[in-house]
Amino acid sequence: MDLLWQTAVNATYAASYMALIAVWLVMIFGVMGVINFAHGELYMVGAYCVVFLYAQENFPFLLAVAAGLIFVGLVGLVMERTLFRPLRDNPLGGLIASIGFLLILQTLAVFGFGRRMGHVPPWTQDKFEVFGAILTYQRLFVIAAAIVLLAALWAFLKRSKFGRALRACAQDAEAASLQGISMNQTARIAMFIGAALAGVAGALTAPLVSPTPYIGHSIIVTAFIIIIVGGVGSLEGAVIAAVLYAFVHTFVTTFFDGVVANIVGLALMLAVLVVRPTGLFGAKERA
Amino acid sequence: MSRKSLDRKISRRKFLGTSAASGAALAAMSTGLSRVSFADSHTIKIGFLAPLTGPVAAWGKPGLDGCLIWADWVNSKGGVDIGGQSYNIEFIGYDNEYDAAKARTGATKLIKEDGVKFVMMLGGDTWPGVQEIAAREGMLFSTLLPSDLTPDSTTLLAPCEVHPIYNVTGVEWLAENKPDLKTAAMCAQDDALGKPSVATYLAAFEAAGIEMVDAPLFFDPATTDFAPVMTRLLAANPDILCLDTCYADYVHPLCEQAFQQGYQGQIISCTADFYQNIIEKTSEEFMEGFIFQFPDFDDPALNSEGVNFVNPNEFYAEYAKRYGASAWSAVSWEYASIMDLWADAASSAGSAEPAAVLEAMKADGTGKHAFGTADWWGTELFGIDNALVGNWPVVVIEGGKATIKEFRSIPAWWDQHKDLMIKHMTDLGQMWNQRG
Repeated sequence: MDLLWQTAVNATYAASYMALIAVWLVMIFGVMGVINFAHGELYMVGAYCVVFLYAQENFPFLLAVAAGLIFVGLVGLVMERTLFRPLRDNPLGGLIASIGFLLILQTLAVFGFGRRMGHVPPWTQDKFEVFGAILTYQRLFVIAAAIVLLAALWAFLKRSKFGRALRACAQDAEAASLQGISMNQTARIAMFIGAALAGVAGALTAPLVSPTPYIGHSIIVTAFIIIIVGGVGSLEGAVIAAVLYAFVHTFVTTFFDGVVANIVGLALMLAVLVVRPTGLFGAKERA
Repeated sequence: MSRKSLDRKISRRKFLGTSAASGAALAAMSTGLSRVSFADSHTIKIGFLAPLTGPVAAWGKPGLDGCLIWADWVNSKGGVDIGGQSYNIEFIGYDNEYDAAKARTGATKLIKEDGVKFVMMLGGDTWPGVQEIAAREGMLFSTLLPSDLTPDSTTLLAPCEVHPIYNVTGVEWLAENKPDLKTAAMCAQDDALGKPSVATYLAAFEAAGIEMVDAPLFFDPATTDFAPVMTRLLAANPDILCLDTCYADYVHPLCEQAFQQGYQGQIISCTADFYQNIIEKTSEEFMEGFIFQFPDFDDPALNSEGVNFVNPNEFYAEYAKRYGASAWSAVSWEYASIMDLWADAASSAGSAEPAAVLEAMKADGTGKHAFGTADWWGTELFGIDNALVGNWPVVVIEGGKATIKEFRSIPAWWDQHKDLMIKHMTDLGQMWNQRG
């Protein structure tokens, strides 16, 4: 029973950071029509903000996380202005530009921090038991932060003017423009929030992983599986798919092994594509 | 995004232009050339074909750093005497990113363009990309992983690290010194480094009477969250946690997870690179007694008679001065020790040509391994006697510092338990005649 609870706790943590990363990748695709391959590297940059500010310069952890959120958000703005806006009518160009940008970010990380994994000391080693499972405060903090941020995002999208503009652009950019919604401003907001969320996910989890300049690769692969399962363009789908994928992957890893878990994760994606090609919550037609 | 709109928005010229530019950029990024010193007419070039970036870089880049110290020391003393002429040594680095295709490109470049006389590799997943070139060109290669050896790879040597066979010494020492520990659980990444090491640990545990509580748990090398892996390992409450030959990127989070999930037992691992960071992530008490196989070279035990590595303590001090003590890894000294063997053989042969050096190196069936005189060995396990096997140190973390407890003989273990090793290697498809 303890093993089941521990696995559930592990899966909840995994679902939290996966959802944070995947959910706004969906929105960026919806609003800008760009598949941002550099999204995993934005996670990496967030992690390195913590490596630099917290591990090397001894700033408080929360300050380093906040700095990561803002800095990576600004990187997102630079990407939007210099890469995606000029290539707005050229989706393949945007995709290739994002691949180029990810290589630039990787190289900058190597120059700045070396090729070795970054070392981030834990900000706390405290832990507690829940139904026999051990949960550290570091992991609890990631779970709580993900819930708060995703709830804030939901409120932003559903209740605010900017949120409605974003959803409108994601559903039909041309119609949204005809209604007076500025595509440039909407894309800026989408890119800032998306990048900031990826950055904060990297910053929050930096003490729990081994940050390397190449960590974004495995992150982006997982994020794309989640998006495909959830349905391209669906924020709710991304969150639910993140939970589903995290639980399936974690349970299979624990009760079989990690290699089988990857196969099952990909099989899940294939099964969804066969049964429901648009994903669990995807619409048939999307901009 | 519909296919129709995509087609409309991308012209053929644009597509070709962006594709070509991206391809060129990717090629430039992946080439990762690194020329580390300058040649003159009395210089011999040595290729260093290993991962200098990526998750396996910890077993490549620190080795190149060590070689630079070796070259500076040797060159400052006039170089290597070959046939009455002194030659400086220049290392030409090539980052294969632990990728077979890039290793192939790198080997071709090093041999054809740079004219190297010897190529050092980490091996493993990258060796299959190079094997054909090595055979065709007759180039002398070295690997840190003797599991790369096959009867066909006549110019490939494993002259330093006999991975994973030396892992038996750690288990043997553990069984003798902590006989109350009777059960073990093990995990490994699913690759060419992880699997033969799993077979070795299984053989060593069986020989020591230590029972596996579960089948070895393999995980994807792309894993970043190790909590599920550790939960599974600890589920059967093992006395010993074996981390196999996991990369540093995995050993650190695995140890942290073990600590966080309340494990208080024995840990054994092939490596514990940058172990000071693991202690910082866990505690000195948690890491006390951690067994692995790679000493810090400031260890006084390395000054004992029989150790052939030249000035180990001074080498460590210079390494720490140049790169920082925390940059020391399992391979920091290994490639340099291979160069000691190569330089002796080249001097003895009076030639730097690969065939002559190979013949001189194996002339009497023994060699000066870093940890003592050793035998060229391996026919039963690798199909060829191209691994230099002798003693290997057992290292234990005591008071936050790696300490050599003992040098133990690998051949002595082999003589008693070789059937077990062959059985487990065969079960996991790791014998030379099973590998593709």
